[in-house]
Amino acid sequence: MKNLRLKAARAALDLSQQQLADDVGVSRQTINAIEKGDYNPTIKLCIAICRRLGKTLDELFWES
Amino acid sequence: MDHYHAGVTLGISVGILAGLFVIVLLFKKKVLDMHFDERQERARGKAFQYGFFTLIITIYAYGVSDVMFGRWCDVLTGGAICLAISLCVFAVTCILKDAYLSLREKPRTVMTMFALISAVNLGLGGMYAFSGDLLENGVLTFRAVNPILGLATLVILVVYIVNYLLRSREEEAE
Repeated sequence: MKNLRLKAARAALDLSQQQLADDVGVSRQTINAIEKGDYNPTIKLCIAICRRLGKTLDELFWES
Repeated sequence: MDHYHAGVTLGISVGILAGLFVIVLLFKKKVLDMHFDERQERARGKAFQYGFFTLIITIYAYGVSDVMFGRWCDVLTGGAICLAISLCVFAVTCILKDAYLSLREKPRTVMTMFALISAVNLGLGGMYAFSGDLLENGVLTFRAVNPILGLATLVILVVYIVNYLLRSREEEAE
């Protein structure tokens, strides 16, 4: 399932996939795969992304 | 072992050592790098698995072909064929999963290097073919190792470029 909340949070900060990837230490393709729902990140990477985007795990990754 | 074969063995050993030296140098100069993210590590693990099983299958197939049809290539060449096919499977799987190059490697530099390796090895292969050294009494000699490796690097290079172009187009469409 696509992670549109992550995409929206990233776009709200005007960050490109590459910028977010550089900030959290992964490749751009990995961020793209997470947004497309093709890859389930580890909790470590989820936390790094949340910290960078100023969101909680629930807000970005909890499926309601 | 006669002088000719001792010279060949020494030449191959020196060649392998020189290759290893260049690889170490490229790592020191940060042209090559092994820092992958978690998705890439996982994808590479899967690719390694596919490559490993391909190696088992190709070695078995090579052994069976030798028993069935008799000697058709030097053992070194047979080993190189098995290794080249397995390497291609590993590399192509990695490329398709965007996990071939690490976070710090520059695609252009690495692919230029691949193009050079491919051109040199295929060129050597062409030279051997022209001078008739590739085959001896219908048996593929150890000199075929160069064109085999050249072909393997060419396959990796082509798959990388095609994948890169297709991905760029897909991303533009998104």
